[in-house]
Amino acid sequence: MTDFENTLREALRDEPAAVRGVPAFANVFAAAEARVAARARSRRILGGIAAAAMIAAVALTVMRPAGPTWQYVDPEELASGTSWVAPSDVLLPEHRFDIFGEIPVLIESTESDEGALL
Amino acid sequence: MRDSDVLDNNPHVSRSALEAIHGQVFGWALSRCHYEKAVAEDLVQQAYVELLTGKARFDGASSLKTFVFSVVQNLARGRYRRQATRLRLVDKAAPDNRVVEPVEPTRRDDVWQAVKALPARQRDIVELVFCRDMTIEEASRVMGVSTGTGRVHYDRAKKALRKRLRDD
Repeated sequence: MTDFENTLREALRDEPAAVRGVPAFANVFAAAEARVAARARSRRILGGIAAAAMIAAVALTVMRPAGPTWQYVDPEELASGTSWVAPSDVLLPEHRFDIFGEIPVLIESTESDEGALL
Repeated sequence: MRDSDVLDNNPHVSRSALEAIHGQVFGWALSRCHYEKAVAEDLVQQAYVELLTGKARFDGASSLKTFVFSVVQNLARGRYRRQATRLRLVDKAAPDNRVVEPVEPTRRDDVWQAVKALPARQRDIVELVFCRDMTIEEASRVMGVSTGTGRVHYDRAKKALRKRLRDD
């Protein structure tokens, strides 16, 4: 080390006055520990909130009321049906009519009815 | 090193080792923030947080002092980068708004004044070597430059100081 370097070292050894008031290590370190603990706590809270939100989302999906279930007409049932009621028939005073399997046959009368045209 | 003393997330760092270098770390933090005590204390506290959480992990490759100094240096750099961006934005919004930089307390000592007048990198290496008793290699590590670059800054700083002190 040169003389000049020694001079510099000597001159710069004394720190500026501001450096002399060093805050106690215990206080600074305790504050740092508190900061870490607070950070962990808030992370835990945030994690809890996120988990609760996820559970709520799953529950909502599972418990959502089912929509209308589609029912298909069974063609066989439809063919063998003897009566049919239109959904709007409830609005009519007499609803429902019979479906006949055969066409009714009108028997020709041999007797004349009075005033009737045969 | 007592076992209970060791930091959970930093097995090579102990509380007592940190306590031993606390004063020097604070001094370094002070010089990083224009000798604003509150800011320096916050920087040191933040450095301890980084060590406690293991975000800054010491592997024993250098001395603990060098490592903690570089943590402080990085934190200060990040802080002032953010601050500079904010100030630039403020400046853009109101061009006449002049920002007054905090001034280091006046030192009677001529040498300190001369050091203060050096460019930032040269000032840093002089402070680390002469004031914090580091080798050029350690100082370069703290500054985040190669030893060769550190040596260049050191030589230039010495030349500039010699000239300035001779002129005075």
